[in-house]
Amino acid sequence: MKILEIENLSKSFESKFEVVSDCTFNIESGKICAIVGESGSGKTTLFRLIAGLERPDKGTIRINGTLMSSDKFISDVKDRNVGLVFQDFSLFPHLTVKENIEFGLKKDKDKKVGELLETIKMENFPNRYPNELSGGQQQRVSLARSLAMDPELLLLDEPFSSLDTQLKSKIRQELRDIIKKIGISSVFITHDIIDALEIADEIIFMDNGKIIRHCLIEDVFKEIKEEKIQNNIVELKRNAELILNALKKK
Amino acid sequence: MFLKIKHFKRDFNKWTVLIVAVSLFLAIPVFSILISLFRGNGEMWEHITTYFLFDYIKNSIILIFGTGLLTFTIGTSSAWIISKYTFRYKKIIEWLLFMPLAIPSYIVAYTYVGLIGNGGTFIEILRDFGFSVIRVEMMNIYGLIWVLSFSLYPYVYAGTRTIFQSYPSQLKHTASLLGVSNKKYFFTVALPLASPAIIGGLFLVFMEVLNDYGAAKYYGVSTFTTGIFRTWTALEDLQSSIYLSAILVILVFILVLIVKWLRGRRSYNLTQTNTNQKSTENRVKISGLKKILYLGILLIPILFGFILPLIQLVIWGIQTFDSMFNNDLIILGLESLSLGLSTALLVVFLACLLIYLSKWNYLKRFNIFSRIATLGYVIPGAIIGVGIIRTSKSLTDLFSFKFDFEIGHLVYNSILVLIYAYLFRFIAVAYNSIEGNTLKIGNNLSESSYLLGYGKIKTFIKIDFPLLRSALLSSFILVLIDVMKELPLTLILKPYNLSTLAVRAYEYAEDERVAEAALPALFLIFLIGTMITLLNYKVRENKQ
Repeated sequence: MKILEIENLSKSFESKFEVVSDCTFNIESGKICAIVGESGSGKTTLFRLIAGLERPDKGTIRINGTLMSSDKFISDVKDRNVGLVFQDFSLFPHLTVKENIEFGLKKDKDKKVGELLETIKMENFPNRYPNELSGGQQQRVSLARSLAMDPELLLLDEPFSSLDTQLKSKIRQELRDIIKKIGISSVFITHDIIDALEIADEIIFMDNGKIIRHCLIEDVFKEIKEEKIQNNIVELKRNAELILNALKKK
Repeated sequence: MFLKIKHFKRDFNKWTVLIVAVSLFLAIPVFSILISLFRGNGEMWEHITTYFLFDYIKNSIILIFGTGLLTFTIGTSSAWIISKYTFRYKKIIEWLLFMPLAIPSYIVAYTYVGLIGNGGTFIEILRDFGFSVIRVEMMNIYGLIWVLSFSLYPYVYAGTRTIFQSYPSQLKHTASLLGVSNKKYFFTVALPLASPAIIGGLFLVFMEVLNDYGAAKYYGVSTFTTGIFRTWTALEDLQSSIYLSAILVILVFILVLIVKWLRGRRSYNLTQTNTNQKSTENRVKISGLKKILYLGILLIPILFGFILPLIQLVIWGIQTFDSMFNNDLIILGLESLSLGLSTALLVVFLACLLIYLSKWNYLKRFNIFSRIATLGYVIPGAIIGVGIIRTSKSLTDLFSFKFDFEIGHLVYNSILVLIYAYLFRFIAVAYNSIEGNTLKIGNNLSESSYLLGYGKIKTFIKIDFPLLRSALLSSFILVLIDVMKELPLTLILKPYNLSTLAVRAYEYAEDERVAEAALPALFLIFLIGTMITLLNYKVRENKQ
């Protein structure tokens, strides 16, 4: 069963070059997919198109088999049942943690919020305001807020970019555990291939608005033809060697 | 292009219709003047071009240059001293530097004649002390430049001060390490960096100068605005006044182009160039002769723009208190205030509506309409008034000839028409201020709300409105101040049975009863001064 089907999707701004160009891919239900690419490669625009925050120039988007966007039709953002965790977390600054999480809920608010606070290990901070939380805590609240709506698809925009290196590794594992525990299909974008390798089941590489490779995580290092990905992997290997050498010296 | 047409049907929604409808409704005066231009010139046009037009152009240009130079000098020097130095009573001086905005420039104009005119207060005091006084003639274009400059410099001061205060300390340190003196630093670094704010402030000054009617009329200086009035009321030639308006609009747009050209790419991002250094420059404590000199520079604009006019008004107010202070005055004040409050509320609502319709409309090219609707601030009040009169005339003619139905009494003598004119004139004030704040908030919060199942309006109520509350209040106060001070539009469009404090003060002065204009003027200054203090407090609270 496919949770996300994208076909020939393109988007340009002000009629200039295409930021997303003729993208086609599918994602299986229950999987975590990482979209990897440099800044300006079109990852965020692709995300916004899936969420319905931008309107495509051409192509179709289907979520769980339902047509969400085409040349003639476009469904409203609120009708897509998609959760999105923004890069800056976008917590409502005038609402507490609890109020943020229950924002979109219509019923069983207390029960649901209680469960989610427990899942994200923040049972003790329901009345704190976003500015009283650390970066990692804000991210978890933002995740819980999206999960509260039981979305069919969860999108995470650069979820680790604002975290420091030490915290990053811990949060990566936490995030994967939460997503897998709930069993929700997820797509996240990152410019760091290590994020992708650690969390994702499959990876999509993007460059200049185009998808240049889509593969399972175990196939990432197999038969790499694309120069951009090769460079990325070479860099990754070089970093790994540097770390290993440093450790050996110690 | 094909793609865009193909998507027109998909992306066209109720917000597109609304933004076009609201914008067109607001911009009727502009279209009305444009259409009228094709009806040929009026009977008096030749007479005007032969005898008056050159004077209008010459005086307007002299006024713009004169007030520009003086407001630039006063505004930037006071902004620099306030931003860089610390001294006793600084907060009070900072507040007082804004206070000239509380006195409409035409009222300052009256007070100067009362102060240094023939038998003026100041002249008499000097004579009492035995000084022989050389009379200074105020009622000419130079006097007008003086009055307008000391009334309007806060527009330059406000923006420039904000920029000066935001300079990172690294900037000054780098200049010092390079051996740059304080004087050179001011002229080669500080001033050029602040140029976008200075140019923005000067543009507002120019708009106010071109919009001025009361002061120019009282001092007998022929400007475009007085010319438009004279042509329409004395010469009874509406079509020629529309032609004059069109020339003034061209002059305004030349100014807009000059400002755009001057600003060019000069939008410096100080935080971007100094990402590692966020602390602002330390303020230096001054003492001795320097302190006296700097305090003098700060007190001059306060003295000439606020204290002296206020003293003269108080003297006149005391002289005429018994005859002028009555229930009528209180009712007049309340009427002015309620007119201002209701207009400001509507303006803020409509500005918000236009901003959010532009966001919600997917066919972004249609957002140009919202820009047309906010042209009011660069079009002098007299022109808007003439545009509305023209529209009203066309409407009454249409109803009378086509439907045999008279609507003149509804259109010509209605408070709704006056409020509509204010809406168009002042919507840009609220629009720019609120839009700036929505940009600061960004789109992510509202988009998060959409993703959580909320619609556009509910998202506005639950997310945007609480976060914008402070900006909305500030815009509301700004518009309220503008409406209460407004003169030319009110004079043209006010119903017979309604007056405002500003109009009443003007009418007394016009009637050579300047002293009697003092109490309505003082009442007006008290109300506006309170608003400015509240606004100052709100801005300080926001900063904290």
